[in-house]
Order: sequence, then structure tokens, then C-alpha cells
Amino acid sequence: MSQTRSNGSERVVLNVEKLRIHYATPQGEVIAVSDISFDLYEGETLGLVGESGCGKSTTAYGILQLVQPPGYIVHGSIKVDGTEVLDLSEEELRSFRWTGLSLIPQGAMNSLNPTMRVKDQIIDVIEAHEGKQTDKKALRERIYDLFAKVGLPNRIYNMYPHELSGGMKQRVCIAMGVALHPTVVIADEATSALDVVVQRIVAQTLIQVKDEIGVSLIVIGHDMGLLAQIVDRIAVMYAGKMVEIAPVESIYAEPLHPYTKLLIDSIPSIKERKPLRITEGITHDPRNPPSGCIFRLRCPFAWEHCAEVEPLPIQVDRKHEVACHMFDEQFEERRAHAFATTANP
Amino acid sequence: MGGISLNYLVRRLLVFFLTLWVAATLIFIIPRLAPGDPIAAMVARLTYQAGFVEDSNAIIEGWKERFGLNDPVYVQYVRYMGNLVRGDLGYAMARFPSTVSELVGRALPWTIGLVGFATLIFFTVGNLFGALLAWTKTPKLVKVMIPMSMIFTSIPPLLAGLLLLYVFGFKLRIFPQNYAYPLGAQPELTLEFILSVLYHGFLPAMAIVLVTFGYWALGMRGMMVTIEGEDYMILAQAKGLKPFYVLYRYMIRNAILPQMTALAVSIGTLVGGSVLVEVIFNYNGMGTLIFTAIREQDFNLIQGTSFILIVTSALAVLIIDLCYPLIDPRISLEGK
Repeated sequence: MSQTRSNGSERVVLNVEKLRIHYATPQGEVIAVSDISFDLYEGETLGLVGESGCGKSTTAYGILQLVQPPGYIVHGSIKVDGTEVLDLSEEELRSFRWTGLSLIPQGAMNSLNPTMRVKDQIIDVIEAHEGKQTDKKALRERIYDLFAKVGLPNRIYNMYPHELSGGMKQRVCIAMGVALHPTVVIADEATSALDVVVQRIVAQTLIQVKDEIGVSLIVIGHDMGLLAQIVDRIAVMYAGKMVEIAPVESIYAEPLHPYTKLLIDSIPSIKERKPLRITEGITHDPRNPPSGCIFRLRCPFAWEHCAEVEPLPIQVDRKHEVACHMFDEQFEERRAHAFATTANP
Repeated sequence: MGGISLNYLVRRLLVFFLTLWVAATLIFIIPRLAPGDPIAAMVARLTYQAGFVEDSNAIIEGWKERFGLNDPVYVQYVRYMGNLVRGDLGYAMARFPSTVSELVGRALPWTIGLVGFATLIFFTVGNLFGALLAWTKTPKLVKVMIPMSMIFTSIPPLLAGLLLLYVFGFKLRIFPQNYAYPLGAQPELTLEFILSVLYHGFLPAMAIVLVTFGYWALGMRGMMVTIEGEDYMILAQAKGLKPFYVLYRYMIRNAILPQMTALAVSIGTLVGGSVLVEVIFNYNGMGTLIFTAIREQDFNLIQGTSFILIVTSALAVLIIDLCYPLIDPRISLEGK
């Protein structure tokens, strides 16, 4: 379905460069996001996956400038259509929000203000950016239009959030997210709180709306199966690092990074029962990451070199990067040398 | 949205009347548990003033008979209840021939005015200060000043009243030392009179406000901090709404709801607390009336004043209860 679009535009709408986010704790700095860089192309849907605590949501909130204390952005660059988000003043940032970057939140259940009608929560974002709307009728039509896009009935216009089902609330959030036609929409586990049936429908709605309006989308999730169906490229995160980013068809057909392999193997199959492989090894203390490669403590292929040198992202194909020594041009040579020295002391 | 079903209204009114009945019974019993009786106390007072009262025992007996104090307690109780239902609170025994209704009628507006005025101020100021304490965009200076203004919270209203009276009434002489309006002035609806009432009521109201608003500020702060962690606050921030709009439409609007409930619950205590403040300022309200009634062991007046205060509090709670669907859309009293 979506794979056909992956060769679309080459224009970069979002460029993240060496983004680093820490959480300051009494026991030291927790490195939540460690020097992440990636590009998002116009009209593209990028999936951001990884296990809980790998920093995928923190990355999203970092891009949105919404990292909550004690978290803070250490350094980095976030450019949306060439605008450096980190350099904006408070007022510039306020007006940039939702028009440049919008958010479809994680917990749709609690993401709407319980004491405001649905319409007022959409109207307030329109009025905050486009000024007071005098033509109430046009405003109402505009909101009905948004409702139609996400498949919501007009009768919820005057309702309060508690009168809606979970799926409807999520749709309201989608409608709200695209209300101002932002450049980039970030959907943070937008479907996680829903049951599988509604999840699929909402995810499809999300993609439909995205295509209709022509925005770029970042979808954060941990459901590899669901993501495979809706995204163009997938970025895999592990412990604050981006270990691989690749077009969806190549990552499923031929995952390169050992962690990506494990992650794809973890998708349950109904044809065969298989043991969960991902549980091997433990995750390191995020305050004190291991030297060299971040994944080496759990990696089945780790060798000395992995502990000494940190692997940098290597471009293996168009729009496909992987951060692993195995894909280094000098890999064979290095390993041969390493084994030669250990074999002859 | 926010309707009230007949069923709920009936149930709520039943609770209201049950409260009144229990209260009326307690008020009837409690004064009778104290030693002494009102007639003896009155005669003793007359004796003290006149030096000697002839036939005091006969007088006591005569008056006791007249007020029905010689009847068995249950007869008194039934008569008392019957009178209450008819709205007859009886004579003020110690101030015969004044009726309790007359005295209460003269005192009640002053107390409602005083407590209402004070409530308006401490609820507004308390919640506003609490909101500012929690808001991330509040200037540093304000955040330092507010807790300092709350030092009076830890002292009882009685002491705050004395302190204010001493400083502003006796030392600085900025505010009058007693009464709700100048002695000799006739209560009337002129600007001059209203201003003088506000002027006289300011210190007593402040005595209540000073010791109370800190409690509300801290409660509000706690609620605001909770709200700040809600998912919809992150979305509000992401939406790029104006900070002030987020403060009142997203934060205060949601944080104020439990505060309203707390206000309804605290009204009774509040009225009780105002009794001593009124006494200190010699404010001619219900507090002073109750105080003298207790001193004079005037059963009827104690019963009457207490009962009216309870009716007022219960009524205030009832009104807040019925208003709840208007302020919180999630609450509907329409029944299932």
C-alpha cells in the first residue's frame, strides 16, 4: 500500500542533526537521546520504533520543544523547512507550533481538556494562530470539514470529551493535529491505547488524512506489524541511539543491524510458535553507557572492536543507514587482524 | 448537559431536611446539659444590677412556668419542634419581650454580609495566589512574596482579629474598633451608609481572610501541579496557545473544581470561626448574638441562632451542590 510512495519527493522538510537530550537526575545524567541525526522527506511517513525507554518519545518531544523537566536538550539542530527550531524566541516558537510541527498525542484518553467542548478545543488552536474568527458559520463549516476527513459525525461538535469513545477522541486529536496544515505531524503512539480493531482503523484514517493534506508524518510506535503497513521508512532506536534507518521493504526483507534483526524476529507469528529472542542480555544503565557500541552487551556478534570504537551511521543504500561495524568497508580486514593477533599471542 | 432530575432533587432535599432535624434536636439537648438555667441567670443579673429583688424565688417560678420550663423535657421538645416547623423561634428568655426572630432578623444580614464578603475575598485571592504559585511563567518575585503573605495561616482567627484590632484600630487608628456601622446611624440604603458598613466590616473580614486564604492557596497549588502533569497540558503547549489562555482555560478551570467542593464542605466551619471574630469587633451579627445568648443561658436564643446558622450553611451547601453540573460538565445529576 504505502511502499509505492517511498521514492517520492527528495525535498527534506525536517532535518535533525546530532540531537542530544539528557534527563538530570540526582544520580547523574540519564542520556535519553544520544546524538541522533535523520532527515524526513516531504510527504514521507517515517516510523520510529524501539523498546520502551529507548528514547523515541523523547526524540519526538525534543523535536517539538516539549521536553519536560528534568529533561533538557543538550545540543543539536532541528530544522523545519530550513527554520532552526532551537533558535526561535518564545513568542516565535509559540506561533511556529502547530503550523510547523503538530502533535497527535500518546494518551488520547486524557489529551483533551475535560471541561471544554470538542469544538472549543479545535477553535482555540485556530484562533491562537489565525486570530479571532469573526465568521462563526465558516468556522463551523471548517470544523465539520475536519470531522469529515477523520470520519467523525457532526453531532460531536458540541460534546465534551467524556461523551466520546476512545477511538473518537483519537480522531478528534487527528483532526486537531491537521487543522492548520502543519509541515510535519508527529503521532506519538497515537494508537497504542486502542484495541486492535480500532487501532487499525485509526491508523488508516491517519494515513488517509496525511495523504489528503500532504503533510509529512512521523509515527512513533512499538508495534512493528502495524508500522510495516503504514510507514515508508523505519528508524530503529536502541538506548537513545538510532541504530538503523531504512525503507520499510528492505528492513523487513533484510534487516542489517543485529538489533533490528531481533526486533523483527520478535513479531509473533501465528504459523509457528517460537521463543522470544530479544530477552537475552540486559540493557545497560542509561547513566553510564558502555564504551563503543551501545548494543554490544546484548549483541550476539559483538567482538573487541565493538567495545573500542563507537560505530557511526554508514550509508549502505539510498535512504538506508546502519550504525554497526559489520557494514564497515574495513570490517573483514579488521576482524581478520583481530583474530590473527588473538590466535598468535 | 448539566440538568438535574426530579428524583435527585427530592433525594437531596430530603437530606437537607434530615440535616436540619438532627441539628435542631442537638441544639435542643446540648444547652440543657449545662448546669444552671436561664431564669435563675436572669434574676441573678437583675439582683446584681438592682441590689435586691423581692420575691426572687416566686419570680423564677413564675417565669419558668410561663416559658414552659417546668414541663417534662419531651413535652418541651415536641412543642419546640412544632414551633420550629411553624417558623416560631419563641421569645428571647433573657430579653423578654423581644422574640428570637426579631433579634436574629437584625443580626443575620450582618453575618451573611461579613462571611460572604470574606469568603469572596479569600476564595478569589487564595485560588489566584495558588494558581500563580504553581504556574511556570509567574515572575520569581511573586513566587517569593506569596508564601510570605501566608504566615497568618497558622494562627487562629481570634488572634488575627486581636492583632489587626490592636494595630489598625488602636495604634494606627485607621479603622474603627467596633460595631458594624457608626453608633446612632440608622441602617438605610444610602451610599454613605454602605461605605461606612464596608469600612467597619473591613477589619473583621480581613481577620477571616488572613487566616484562611493560605489554606486555599496551598490547596489550589496542589491541584494546579496535578493538572500540570496531565496529558492535555502537553497538548495545550504543543498547540502554541497563549500562555495566559492556557492558565485560565486549561489549568485554573480544571483545578478549581475540587476547590468548589472544599468550599461547600467548609462553610459550616467558616461561620463558626466568624463567631469569635464578631465578638472581638463587637460586630452586631450572629456571632455576638450567640455569644451573649450562651452567656445568658438563653435556651431559646441559643437554639434559634444556632438553628438559623445551620439552616444558612446547609442552604449554601445545597446551592453549591445543585450548581455542580454547571461547573463540571462530567457531572450530571440527571440520574441513570
